[in-house]
Amino acid sequence: MITHPASVDADIHPLESFVERLLQGDALLPDTETNVLEVVGILKSYGVVLDAYSVNLCYMADHQFLVLFPFFKYFNGEVTLQKLLKFWWHDRINYEYAEYCMRTMLWHGGGGLDAYLDSPDFAQRCEAAVQAKTRHNPPIRLLHKLCPDFLPEQVRMLAYTSALGQFWRVMSDMFIDLSDRYDRGEVRTIPDVVDHIKAGLVAAAANPITYSVVLDGQAYDLLPASAGLTFLMDAAVPYVEAVFFRGTPFLGTVSYNAQAGQIPEEQNRFEYGALYADPLPVGGAGIPPTLLMQDMRHFLPEYLHDFYRQSLRGEDDLRVQVCQSFQKSMFCVTTAAILGLMPHPADTQNPAEQQVNRDYLLSWMNRFTTSRLPVVQLG
Amino acid sequence: MLSALLLIPIVGAIAIILWPGELKAAQARAASMIILAASLVWVALLASRFDVHGSGMQFEEALAWIEPLGLTYKLGLDGLSLPLLAINSLLSLVAIYATSITIHRPRLYFALMLLINGAVAGAFLSENLLLFFLFYELELIPLYLLIAIWGGARRGYAATKFLIYTALSGILILGAFLGLTWLSGSSSFDFDPSMAQTLTLTEQTVLLVTLLIGFGIKVPLFPFHTWLPDAHVEASTPVSVLLAGVLLKLGTYGLLRFGFGLFPEAWFSIAPWLASWAVVSVLYGSLAAISQTDMKKMVAYSSVGHMGYVLLAAAAATPLSILGAVLQMISHGLISALLFLLVGVVYKKTGTRDLTVLRGLLNPERGLPIIGSLMILGVMASAGIPGMVGFISEFLVFRGSFTAFSTQTLLCMLGSGLTSVYFLLLVNRSFFGRLAIAPPTATPQPDVNLPPVAWSDRFPAVVLALIILALGLQPAWMTRWSENTTLALHQPYSVVAQLPRQQVSQLPLSVSCSDTADEVCQP
Repeated sequence: MITHPASVDADIHPLESFVERLLQGDALLPDTETNVLEVVGILKSYGVVLDAYSVNLCYMADHQFLVLFPFFKYFNGEVTLQKLLKFWWHDRINYEYAEYCMRTMLWHGGGGLDAYLDSPDFAQRCEAAVQAKTRHNPPIRLLHKLCPDFLPEQVRMLAYTSALGQFWRVMSDMFIDLSDRYDRGEVRTIPDVVDHIKAGLVAAAANPITYSVVLDGQAYDLLPASAGLTFLMDAAVPYVEAVFFRGTPFLGTVSYNAQAGQIPEEQNRFEYGALYADPLPVGGAGIPPTLLMQDMRHFLPEYLHDFYRQSLRGEDDLRVQVCQSFQKSMFCVTTAAILGLMPHPADTQNPAEQQVNRDYLLSWMNRFTTSRLPVVQLG
Repeated sequence: MLSALLLIPIVGAIAIILWPGELKAAQARAASMIILAASLVWVALLASRFDVHGSGMQFEEALAWIEPLGLTYKLGLDGLSLPLLAINSLLSLVAIYATSITIHRPRLYFALMLLINGAVAGAFLSENLLLFFLFYELELIPLYLLIAIWGGARRGYAATKFLIYTALSGILILGAFLGLTWLSGSSSFDFDPSMAQTLTLTEQTVLLVTLLIGFGIKVPLFPFHTWLPDAHVEASTPVSVLLAGVLLKLGTYGLLRFGFGLFPEAWFSIAPWLASWAVVSVLYGSLAAISQTDMKKMVAYSSVGHMGYVLLAAAAATPLSILGAVLQMISHGLISALLFLLVGVVYKKTGTRDLTVLRGLLNPERGLPIIGSLMILGVMASAGIPGMVGFISEFLVFRGSFTAFSTQTLLCMLGSGLTSVYFLLLVNRSFFGRLAIAPPTATPQPDVNLPPVAWSDRFPAVVLALIILALGLQPAWMTRWSENTTLALHQPYSVVAQLPRQQVSQLPLSVSCSDTADEVCQP
């Protein structure tokens, strides 16, 4: 987790009101009836999509280990003509988006996973697995000799693939459970949603993140339990950092969003994650979230679909509307993460702890100044 | 047969005005569309019976009207007027279709639109100078009212300016016609290419210049163009479609039919000046278009530039260039109508045409992607990209004019390049980038949400785009009607008149040089 010092004067911070809101147990997203409907509805469909992503990511990590031409990596081991035709028809789950998120995590790094993948322990384990995999493949062995960093980097990517698959497994179940509770009337407000997610994150916080592949009947532990990687700090927090905050440049969009002053000049200062992204270009070529919105569109609960149909353009701009709701829901997930990681309880009476909490929240607010936080307040 | 093209819309207009029962806007619109569709079918029928090998007037109709004044009701159709009649009927239909059913005072509106259609058809068909003038003036009043009643905020100013300019244009044209008839000693205003033969070159030139200014206002050519951008900006979309697509063509038609047709000798003597005038008009129109920030004004100035090509081609007066001039009229009619329709949709959906504000309208979900794509097609056609009708007409104009006025032609080609400049500015500013319809503000704003575009809004533009593509890929469908007429038109009457009698009588004609041919045979 990258923490930022509260460098701005707390008295005049433009997002000061949100600090108060969070300390009082409210969320970053206003608590309105439509917001609850949108957030829960979209998280339901997100849960369904994440389930598919998670299954596929784990399949790729486990069964497509260093496969040179993984033509059927999205088929989860079941290659039929019907599936192939459906794939070509493109009315399918866009697993490419899951890989986009995985690569975003790999690119930005952070957390224990990133550190472990650069450790000698991992290098040793990785080398053993690579040797086992390339035992009968002299050209690839030669490649490995010539470019010794190439295959380990692929293995690092597969490690992230597995980690993201495991992370999304938990998130998918959590969101489906949220939807079920909403249907039963147990979740009625945005703070209820945040509480549900926070509880889910806390419950899974210590889940180990491990990864091993079986080659020629022998298991190779690439992320062993001994590395001590856990769900919250080594998967969830780097994910939030990489995908919610930083994101990656969208080819073709960068130039014109730069015109609108939305994109920092340096790539490593990039702030184009889910909390910053502009939903309007969704639907255009080269905009990765289009894939996610397209996927979620298939699994919208009827009440949410109805809500979208009543909008000005009806179903014409469905993917943009899905994206707007999704962004709102991500502010709820972020609220849960921020509250979950708060150094001291929100209701602490100790002034020193209160100050620490305030500084902690203000450091988050600094990062939100260019986000879509002010826009999602508009309804 | 030709009278039907006048009667159908004019009787229709009267019927809509006088209809005894209640007539809602939607009903009046539907009735108008049926009337104009009938008119379009009638043009198609005429085209099917039109002899493309003939160069003279066909389907002629003559009826004595006010003989002492020399006014006869004489109509005729040739390869110059047939395509323009088709454009008139088609674009009038498009304009009516593009009219909202919520329009106020629908009876008057639709009646005026039909009246314009009838009057323009009359002008294109007239074979009598006075009759042409009457129709030319008749079209003026409805258009004035259409701008003055259904126009934008400054409609009064724009409509009055239009009226003053075009009325002056009418006066000049009438003056030239009267001068020609009186000086030639004729008692009839019937169109006759030999009328000016007895006039001195000076007399011819004076009359021609008068006509040129008269029609130059209508075309419009620099410096008589200033009424046009104002009229376009204030006019509603359907009226702009008619104005750019059809009514400007009255000016260029007049230049060819009466300027060049009646005064070929004088025409050739001042042709270099006319070509240079065309250059000024083309370059001025294009440069002015570049500096515009109102989308509609930009398209209006592009009209000034593109109509200049017609003058260039007419000045060159080669067989190819005159054909190019006719095609340019058709092509400009279709393309400018398409562009005005699209600008109309943009304005209707975003509430602005300001190019400093509009951005990203090609946005696939929230923007106007199909309208934007059609706009790109339209501006490409206007810039003369091959495969579309604009290329064919501009190529013929330049190819035909180059032999006569190479420098002027090259300079006019520069105007074609400038078309790409201003239209790329338009497309780049308003259709690419992040979607926006208002200037950025310091306070957070909700995401832009434009109303949906119905297929009925897109339909007329799609039809025009298809025609633009079809004629661009198969130009023979357009050229076949006019080739013979323009070929005959380009041969100056004086050359025929100078043939010695013996040569004429030696021709294998079935009739001798008798009474009817007397005038032609005069040495």
